[in-house]
Formats: sequence, structure tokens, C-alpha cells
Amino acid sequence: MIRVVTLDSFDEKQIAKLCQTLYTAFGVGSEHSGQKEVPAGMSEPLDAEKLLTEMKGIRAYEDDKVLFITSRKLKERELAGGKVPTPGFAQYNKSRAIISTHGYKDLETSFKAVARNALQQIGHLWGLHHCLDPRCSMYPPWTPSFSAGEATFCTFCRDKSEQKLRLAKS
Amino acid sequence: MQDGSASLQLAVGDRVVYPNQGVCRVSAIEVKEVAGQKLTFVTMRREEDGAVVMVPQTKVLSIGVRKVAGPEDVTQVFEFLRSDSDKADLDWKMRARTNQDRMAQGGLIGMAEVVKGLQVLSELRPLPTKERELYDNARHLLVSEIAAALNTSDCNAEDAIDLVLFPLGRERPKRTAAEFAPRPGEGDEDLGLDADLLGLDTELDLPPDEEEAPAEEEEEESSEEAGEEDEEGEAKPRKKAAAMPAEGGADAAPKKRGRPPKPKPEGAEAAAPKKRGRPPKPKPEGAEAPAPKKRGRPPKAKPAEGAEAAAPAPKKRGRPPKAKAPETEEAEEQDADFDDDDIEADE
Repeated sequence: MIRVVTLDSFDEKQIAKLCQTLYTAFGVGSEHSGQKEVPAGMSEPLDAEKLLTEMKGIRAYEDDKVLFITSRKLKERELAGGKVPTPGFAQYNKSRAIISTHGYKDLETSFKAVARNALQQIGHLWGLHHCLDPRCSMYPPWTPSFSAGEATFCTFCRDKSEQKLRLAKS
Repeated sequence: MQDGSASLQLAVGDRVVYPNQGVCRVSAIEVKEVAGQKLTFVTMRREEDGAVVMVPQTKVLSIGVRKVAGPEDVTQVFEFLRSDSDKADLDWKMRARTNQDRMAQGGLIGMAEVVKGLQVLSELRPLPTKERELYDNARHLLVSEIAAALNTSDCNAEDAIDLVLFPLGRERPKRTAAEFAPRPGEGDEDLGLDADLLGLDTELDLPPDEEEAPAEEEEEESSEEAGEEDEEGEAKPRKKAAAMPAEGGADAAPKKRGRPPKPKPEGAEAAAPKKRGRPPKPKPEGAEAPAPKKRGRPPKAKPAEGAEAAAPAPKKRGRPPKAKAPETEEAEEQDADFDDDDIEADE
């Protein structure tokens, strides 16, 4: 089950559409599990890694994946390879991920890009790595072509995610 | 990077890398009796999923188990990934063998080489399924070890690697096969053996048939290999074309390997191009060329001309036609005979 938790107010229809897209991509149920507040003491830009660790009061089963959506900016990360923008972040092979709609006018006009980002973060939760195919949602998000693509997976990533899902369910 | 020392001192709680499996943590070192022998076993638990493996301590080094790389090794890996040095081999067999060796050895740089090589190759053409899986495995092992080495999350480690492989704000370049051609002094085509060393003149007057033959053979070889090999077959001529000097005219004919052609007898005409297959039988002198054979069932042998009249008419299938009125004298006589017979029979 994929649980979508909003951290700011969003259009309900668009959130329902996003849930539908996630259901189509992964083949598991997806629902909006309400809105939560950002932990006290955290200011914009949000530290994604810290936020995921500190968010409390989210009800979910062991196999559930929780996706947080915020309209606030996420802090860029300083890594060994350089400074990387953070449109989203996921705890690899675990249960929590976050995406940001910061920089987009609204969810309706930029739905494709946001959905693609959501697919990628949940893909990371299922253990998928970045992909070589620019049409796949697992393509690195800082590339110029990322926002233009459809919210779908390439054959390899789809097969792998299905395999992971099967193993998780068993 | 690979711990080459004869003794790898392991203690419970150490993080090690098991080739092709990933980062493990030593959970126990204990003595067990197996088949009457007392052996010391190192028990390792894979961090990713908790899978347990037990290895005799004497075999730990030969298997390739080593301690997790340090930050200096990670710096080397990033330098390597940034460099434009590694071009994958276009020969799929060589490439597969090399990559399997690198994965089996389990070194950090080896895994980075696999990732980088296949990543660069994917800029030329999409990877086949097996190599895509290999790429994914190598990337997974590399990410998990770098995350362990830098004590960071897997997501950060992967982004750090991909920031180098997929530069920020830029699309990946499109490669051409010419870029994968071996550089001078690297490939087997340029072994530093000049034509003089081989005892050949630089200008060889090769007959056209012998110039064509090696290319045909290569094409046949490449066409025998299925799927991906077809692509390799296409790539080989391109590779050669890239390695050829840009000269024009007859002097620019590419040098051929193998035995030099036999010198031509002076005054002899150029031989007709050789055809493959069985040589034709020698024709008898004076005999005319036989008519071309027709396919299908051979016609029946015709009888001699004298016997033509006596030959029975070809049998027609089906009901025989009704007897017509006799027109000739013979027919009248036959009728008369028939009548006599009938009378006799009546009597």
C-alpha cells in the first residue's frame, strides 16, 4: 500500500489523480492518508533526510510505503560528487520518501513532472536505482529532459519493481 | 585497494565486502568440527537483507573478502568516474569476460570500471538485457560500498555517483563507434609491427579477389553470431574505418593480415575472380555444352521412330469413349470378325 501524506494544502482532485498514477505504475493500492504538520523547529528549506526521520504519528503497516508531499523547498545536499538539487528524497529500500512541488506553479499544470518525481522516489523505496533510459522515471531528476517525460517506467525498471513487490508480498 | 596481505585480521562487528554479494558484517568467528576436522569459520551477515554466509577462515582471502574501502579509495573512484578514460570494448565476448572478472574480484575500482564502461557504452546504443542486469548489479554493489565507506545513506551515495556520470543540467552525449576504436598502440591491429618488419612491401598489388575475401569471411563470421553479435559485426568495419589513415587513391588500400599473395607471373592476365564452392568439372574438348538441366521429373524415354506407329496410344483415364462408326476398310474387317465371333458364340 502506498500512503500519500500531504504536508501542505493541495487540491484534492490532483492528489487523487496522483494516487491513481501511482496505482497504475506499481499495481498496489494508493490512497491519500491526510495532512500532517512539519515537525517543529524545521524551517524552509527543509532537510529532507532529517524530516523523514523525525516525522511522527504516521500510521502504516510494515510493507506500506509513505510518500510525503510538500510545496516547500528541500535543502540541496552537499555530496562527494558535488552539490545536488533535491526535488525529492527516499530512504533507499525502506518505507519513507518525500517530494517537493517547489518551483512549479501548481500541481495541475506540472502534474507530469511531479508524478514522475513521485514514481522515482517510490521506486527507490522498492530498491530501484537510477536508470539509463531518459524516458524512464528512474532517470536522474537533475537532467533537463526529466520534467518533459511521462510518468512511466522502462521495461527493466518495471520488471524489477514487480519482482520486488512480489517478494515483499510473500 | 584489495587487501593483498596474507592475513586479513577480522573481528566480530567488522564490515567487510564479499565479492558479488555486497557489504556484510562479521557476526561470529567460531570453531566447528566438520568431517572430523576442526575448522575456524567466519560468519558474515549481509547488511542488505540479513543473509548469512559462513566461510572457513583459511579461504577468506582466496574468495576475495576484504574490508570496506576507505574515503581515499572513494576519492580515487570519483576521479576515475570523472575521467574520460574508460571506453568499453566493442567486442561483446571480451567485454563480458572482462566485466565478469572484475565482478568476481570484487574490487571497488573494478566495479566502478564496470559501471563506467557500460554507462559509456549505453551512450552509443541501448544495453542488452544481460548487460543491463550486470550494470544494475555493479551499480548496486558500488553504491552500497560507497555508502558504507562514507557512512551516508544509499540515496546520497547514488546521487553522488550519478552527479558525476550524469552532469548537472546536461544531457548525456551521443557517442559514435569511432570513439570506441582502439587508440594507436593499444589495439591488436597496431602491434608496432610495420610492414617492413613483417617482410612486406608497403605497396602490394593484391588481386581484387583476394582483397575481397577477408572482408567476406569477417562478414560471415559476424553473421553467425546471433543478436548482439550482429551489431558487433557492423561495428568492426566501422572500427577499422576509423583506424585507417585518411588517404585517397589506390595507395590507401587497407593492409591485409595473413600470408602475402603469391607474385603474379609477368604477362599473365588477371585471373577471374575466384568463386567459392566446388570447382566445375573439366569439359571434354569438342563436346558441345550440354543443355541446361531442367528441374522436375525427367521426360520418359521416347521409342525409336519405326516403332512409333505400333506404339499404343496413351491411355486416357476415365470411361473409354464409345466406339465410333468405322471409316476405314480395316475397321470394316474388324467389325466383320466381331460379327463372326458373335455368331459362333450364339451357336
